[in-house]
Amino acid sequence: MNEIALKELLYKIADDQLILGHRNSEWTGMGPLLEEDIAFSSMAQDKVGQSYAIYNLLHALGEQEPDTIAFTRNANQFHNSIFTELPNSEYDFSLIRHFLYDTAEIIRFDLLTRSAYQPLADLAVKVRAELRYHTLHANTWIKQLGSATEESISRLQHSLDTALPHALGMFEESLYEQDLIHDSIFAGEKILMERWKQQVEIILSKTQLQLPDWDTLTAVNGGRKGQHSEHLQPLLDEMSEVFRIDPTAEW
Amino acid sequence: MYGGGNTFEGIKTDSLAQEDPVKLAEFEARIARGEKIEPSDWMPQLYRKQLIRMIEQHAHSEIIGALPEGTWITRAPGFKRKLALMAKVQDEVGHAQLLYSAAETLGKSREQMINDLINGKSKYSNIFNYPAFTWADSCFISWLVDAGAIVNQLANAKGSYGPYCRALDRICAEESFHLKYGHHCVIYLATGTPKQRAMFQEALNRWWAPMMHFFGPSDKISAHTEVLMKWKVKMASNDDMRNQFLDMYVPKIWELGFTIPDPKLRKNPETGRWDYTEPDWEEFKRVINGDGPCNKERLEVRRIAEERGHWVREALKAPKASYVMPLA
Amino acid sequence: MNSLDPRVNRLPAVGVPGQAEPKAPMDQFGTFEVFVQPRDGKPFQHEGVVHAPNLELAFVLAKEAFTRRFLCVSIFVADTRHVHVSPMTEGNDSVLNYIRDVSLQRSTKETYEIFQLPKRGKQHLQAGQVEAAGPEEAMAEAKKILPADKVIYNLWVIRTNDIRYTRPEEKELWLTLPEKKFRDASDYKGGDKLKEFLERAHS
Repeated sequence: MNEIALKELLYKIADDQLILGHRNSEWTGMGPLLEEDIAFSSMAQDKVGQSYAIYNLLHALGEQEPDTIAFTRNANQFHNSIFTELPNSEYDFSLIRHFLYDTAEIIRFDLLTRSAYQPLADLAVKVRAELRYHTLHANTWIKQLGSATEESISRLQHSLDTALPHALGMFEESLYEQDLIHDSIFAGEKILMERWKQQVEIILSKTQLQLPDWDTLTAVNGGRKGQHSEHLQPLLDEMSEVFRIDPTAEW
Repeated sequence: MYGGGNTFEGIKTDSLAQEDPVKLAEFEARIARGEKIEPSDWMPQLYRKQLIRMIEQHAHSEIIGALPEGTWITRAPGFKRKLALMAKVQDEVGHAQLLYSAAETLGKSREQMINDLINGKSKYSNIFNYPAFTWADSCFISWLVDAGAIVNQLANAKGSYGPYCRALDRICAEESFHLKYGHHCVIYLATGTPKQRAMFQEALNRWWAPMMHFFGPSDKISAHTEVLMKWKVKMASNDDMRNQFLDMYVPKIWELGFTIPDPKLRKNPETGRWDYTEPDWEEFKRVINGDGPCNKERLEVRRIAEERGHWVREALKAPKASYVMPLA
Repeated sequence: MNSLDPRVNRLPAVGVPGQAEPKAPMDQFGTFEVFVQPRDGKPFQHEGVVHAPNLELAFVLAKEAFTRRFLCVSIFVADTRHVHVSPMTEGNDSVLNYIRDVSLQRSTKETYEIFQLPKRGKQHLQAGQVEAAGPEEAMAEAKKILPADKVIYNLWVIRTNDIRYTRPEEKELWLTLPEKKFRDASDYKGGDKLKEFLERAHS
């Protein structure tokens, strides 16, 4: 088994979950409805918890402690997709990102339940169960708001148009893609992306939202290689502000 | 998180004369037997009015109380703290959700309550009008403000109104996590580096006065509330709750080697109660009436949140569904 | 705004500061009753309400509002307006004494879910299902399945078709609930650290 390839995979998945979980937690106490505030916060907690579990797998493979990994690296060492680091904007964008992202994640973790790397396969069964709620939540809101009023439809459409090129950046392949597939660690980003597109089409066909022709879109890549937007470093500075007062202290 | 301190100012009992004496006697007998009042039961207007006022203030204190700690939600140090603080602030929103629903069973809609909050018509716990300057301030809140709230909420959970008691049972169960988490954070600061210890000492210095205000004005100057005590709406006097809090937590603060900024604070061996410098009740009033360090910001954040969320609610509202009274 | 909270500093300018938009027309959602089953074989218990625009979103929102900690294997929700409520009794007076015998000879019977209140101040518990031609008949039918020797203070009946149940494939939603220890008081034990500190302080 190619351990470098495995670590690379684990890092990018965990970084995605951490950064989006962090972003989504910014809504806590400021959501559009108390009940939704609670639901969105739970999903943010799930994501941060999932990233923690994956950093623990990395730690077992010889990487540093999860806190050190998460709270001391700089932006260029993070391999999350740029999609996850974009600011929350309004709730329409946050919902669309949640929908596009979690639709991909539940497929990703479903594929990972069959990973040859057993600790990851075991974890994926649990993560998939949590994500079942995330997709239920996302699909329900998108289906309803995507066919409600002129305002809700146009807000979601605008956010969808903004989000899609970034969403395609989730499937940016790593240098080790073939190793992962060959070693049966992960079925690969291409398969994931194809299934994701089908699922996105199914849900959006139940709304009045329009999907552009996939071929007209250009993926916003770079995140998987540590090349990020201007938004990630400030996010990390904020996240680690207290931790870095004294990284050797116990908080 | 609610200390119950400023609910019962200026109560007029005039309306009691207009109540049906037979029904009133049955109602009071039921409470005296220790039974709960349910939404479908007859109740005096004053009971309904004071309960709405109290539960609504409690609910507002939860949703506004999410903001001072929320100040640190994106900056909690390390996974354990990050997850816990997210869950803790979420719980405060959840408590608001439960409490607004309990108040709705009495005939006031959540929307009306939130309107009254944003427009400054209803109050919430004074303590949330103070800023959380450092991480240690959020730890103070999680531990000690929650501890104070538990003193009040455990008392109120034995009150007479069924829906409020059931909400409080749930809330108190969740608060035990808040309290343990908060204490855990403070133990880590206390046993950590000199800088960490200093952070908490400074937070303690900032928050002690608001903490003493939390349970409301001294019984000596507070309005008479006998009828509300009899009806089990108000369950303990402000001074008793403050004393109980001091009894339970001053030793725990001292144990960690911190100094409480009140030279007069000591347990009086003769009375068995705590002596302390009388809190500045003029400041308490000033802050309640809008002139605290964060009043404007707290309400402004709530207003913006409501207005940003308006399109979501507008898109899916079903006109006939507006405000249905919950059943229990 | 110049806040200590970076999230607040990022808030967009909306409306007029200090002035709430007049809230007419109302945009409040409807009310839905939430029932939780703590473990398989146990009855569902009423836990509270959520505001939601419709039954499906009520189910989605109820899940995190009421089951993000403690035990849960399944939930269901119903529109408050679809819950038929009996009078409430007290003392040793069972509400069953006030349920009229109704037998409608209509052929189109439907299933109703029955809930009973065993003690004033507590929550309603699921008590079984009956076939009936309407809610009144369902209350009458409920008398046949409820124990006559116990005092029951209040009955609720809900038409089964008005309930959003947890679907079999959704049972997985609570799979990792017991592992979310960070929401439990038991996960925050500072005793050892405190003890060590106190020993150091006193030596």
